[in-house]
Amino acid sequence: MLKNLKEYHYPGSLDEALSLSDRESRSFFIAGGTALALSDSSRPVELIDVSRLGLDELELDKENGKLTIGATTKIQKVVENKSVQSVLGGFLSESLEEIGSYPVRNAGTLGGSLVRPFPWSDVVPILSVLETEITYYHKGDEKTRELSKLYESDFRGTLNRSIIEGVSISLPEGLNTAAKFKKFSRSEFDVAALNLACKLSVEGNNISEARLSIGARPMIGERVTDLEDNLVGEKLTEKVAEDAAVFAADAADLGGDNKLSKEYRKQLVKKMAEEALMDIKKEVANES
Amino acid sequence: MKVEFELNGEVKEFDVDSGEILLDLLRDEGCKSVKRGCETGDCGACMVLVDGRAMTSCTLFAAQADGKEVRTVEGLEDELAEQLKESLLEAGAVQCGFCIPGVLISAYSLLSRNEEPTKGEIKAALDGNLCRCTGYVKQIEAIKETADSIGGSSNGQK
Ligand code: FES
Ligand code: FES
Repeated sequence: MLKNLKEYHYPGSLDEALSLSDRESRSFFIAGGTALALSDSSRPVELIDVSRLGLDELELDKENGKLTIGATTKIQKVVENKSVQSVLGGFLSESLEEIGSYPVRNAGTLGGSLVRPFPWSDVVPILSVLETEITYYHKGDEKTRELSKLYESDFRGTLNRSIIEGVSISLPEGLNTAAKFKKFSRSEFDVAALNLACKLSVEGNNISEARLSIGARPMIGERVTDLEDNLVGEKLTEKVAEDAAVFAADAADLGGDNKLSKEYRKQLVKKMAEEALMDIKKEVANES
Repeated sequence: MKVEFELNGEVKEFDVDSGEILLDLLRDEGCKSVKRGCETGDCGACMVLVDGRAMTSCTLFAAQADGKEVRTVEGLEDELAEQLKESLLEAGAVQCGFCIPGVLISAYSLLSRNEEPTKGEIKAALDGNLCRCTGYVKQIEAIKETADSIGGSSNGQK
């Protein structure tokens, strides 16, 4: 219960939403609402509902290989979208379906998961392994950043008093590409105790591009770029997958919390990375 | 503040506090099928349909319902809802009954968009409902039975 809440606004434009936000420093943007409705913070005094700004478009532009998803699109709508299901063998829809439960995905929005992501966010590693750009509106300007880079920087500062408009994902063209998402949690709809996403492109026999991101470390998702660099040029064999998994477990910045110890996380990374790489190996072999 | 939405087929205006939770408003309006369980979005006892989609009303502000269509079990009276209620009772899927309105909403929402769900799809649709009594087996059977008798009656298979 937000006990100090006094006002709830429904702005009709981005500028109106931003000016409401500038006027009251203790105002918060709301779209799906789940996180805020559960909060008992005494800070918010005004809520600014951005669900009526027309930011819920979802479009797959096959010609230019771009998938754009508006920030207030409900996660379940993304999961159910036929175009999204066709992307990377269903990687995006299947991995987003692992978030929460059906009613949670019906209410939660993609932008809401990105504006103040929890450390255990599944969305951050999932979108980080894709070529994802995030567009946000700040002080009358539209700005675009590479998503994985944004979350490696001071994203809270950058997104403060900004409205996320959406994400745009460049789809790999003419490459043999596959991606996998792995999640470890205490129950089907509990938040992740560790999550990992991986995407590889193969040209000829060798890996031409690699991305691997680990979240709930217990910190927010982060790419393991040293591993990504090492994988490029390698042939994806069982041995390479095994070595890469050991490397990922050593190179990732992991910690312990009340869910899992650091050592347990390390073992899990090894297991999940190897599984993801072997699943990808199977998929790219089938495609070639 | 004033919010206006359609509750169980009737457009109504409500005077709410800005931070009022939809669950509280609905119970005050007499919709007692909307149960107060965990209040953290985990148990599904407070489930309602918002614009036809199953959502937990404890994780929504009443103000978010403005302009929308909200349905609770009190407003589910069509053939599908009646059949579901009957199948749940006949299958012995109701014990203490606390979770049942939420289960009914999830099942209704599933069968409204998918007339012939697989067992896996039924399980997935119930992933936001906690039942401490039944173990779900009878509930899943009851939903399958409803699907067979309504959607599958035309081809008689499954
Ligand atoms: S009371 Fe809303 S999900 Fe439990
Ligand atoms: S019948 Fe008792 S909780 Fe489900």
